[in-house]
Amino acid sequence: MTIGTQSVGGGPSTLYLMRQLIVERHGWISLREFLEDWALSRLSMGVHLIALCGLIGARLGGVRGAAISVADMLTPAVAITILITAGYSRISEAPLVRAALAGIGPVTAGLAIGMSLVLIQASARSGRHGITDRALAVAATAAGILAPTSPLPVLAAGLVLGVLFLGGEHKKSPRVEVP
Amino acid sequence: MDPFTLFLIFLKANLLSVGGLSALPLLREDLVVHGLATEQQIVEALAIGRLSTGPSGLYVTSLGYFVGGWPGAVAATLAAIVPPLTIVPAAAMLRRQLLSSWFTGLMRGVTISASGLVIATGIGLIEPELPLAQIPIWQFAITAAVAAFTVHGKVHPALLIVGGGLIGLALGR
Repeated sequence: MTIGTQSVGGGPSTLYLMRQLIVERHGWISLREFLEDWALSRLSMGVHLIALCGLIGARLGGVRGAAISVADMLTPAVAITILITAGYSRISEAPLVRAALAGIGPVTAGLAIGMSLVLIQASARSGRHGITDRALAVAATAAGILAPTSPLPVLAAGLVLGVLFLGGEHKKSPRVEVP
Repeated sequence: MDPFTLFLIFLKANLLSVGGLSALPLLREDLVVHGLATEQQIVEALAIGRLSTGPSGLYVTSLGYFVGGWPGAVAATLAAIVPPLTIVPAAAMLRRQLLSSWFTGLMRGVTISASGLVIATGIGLIEPELPLAQIPIWQFAITAAVAAFTVHGKVHPALLIVGGGLIGLALGR
């Protein structure tokens, strides 16, 4: 597990790399087990990739396996992130950096919007139910624009509506292709 | 800001979020509205999160550093690790129930509404200091283009960030 996760560097292709290493190269778990853990990880709170690492690690080595695999995946990434941030903090007030941020702000906005669209697309059901799901996305966006300082009521409404209306068309296998 | 309070703020945001950047609207509310961080720092943390390795959710590490230095970064990271791992014991005990219809509906509702909130937050981040109507067209154009690139997944985010920085140098104030 150590080698497996340490080389997983991040970026959008992380899932694909994980599957390659864990399922195809090393054969630690079957593709079916990987897909099941992947589906479960999408139901977790917070960062899904951490949940996936925990689930696969637990399959391989119980609590210890889960701890090791999560620590392995995150330690290099966290260290690099802190170092970049610390380095950046020294130059963040430079006029050139300020000017560049006028372009970087819109990019991060685009990344956030694009990632959300992908996530909505992946979570929404197909067919008629998909319209309900996307209507909720539009309503939440509108609520977020109109009342940007109160995300909690919107999340609570989404939760209640989800239990009541979005649970139909039960499918065990994810509709989205695993990369 | 003491690291423990920071830990609690980040923990709350992660407990109430599902995937992607969905903790962002809650963090923005708790940190920016209360003057602990600036909109600019949110943008910077998101950019650093994408430039660095690991899941994009690690922008919280960077944000934690801006708010509370090294202890803040560690507190924010720990707060991001705990919530997703609750799925491990949950899956061991309740695997069948977790894949049941009402629970997937619940998570779908939260995921989709959180994603909608992130889109709204994203629009607010294009140029936090200006009202929407006064934002220059070129900044909107960058956001639209980057969102399209992200959906199609063909261009590495780091390239987009560098490109945006260069355009900012050319066209910014």
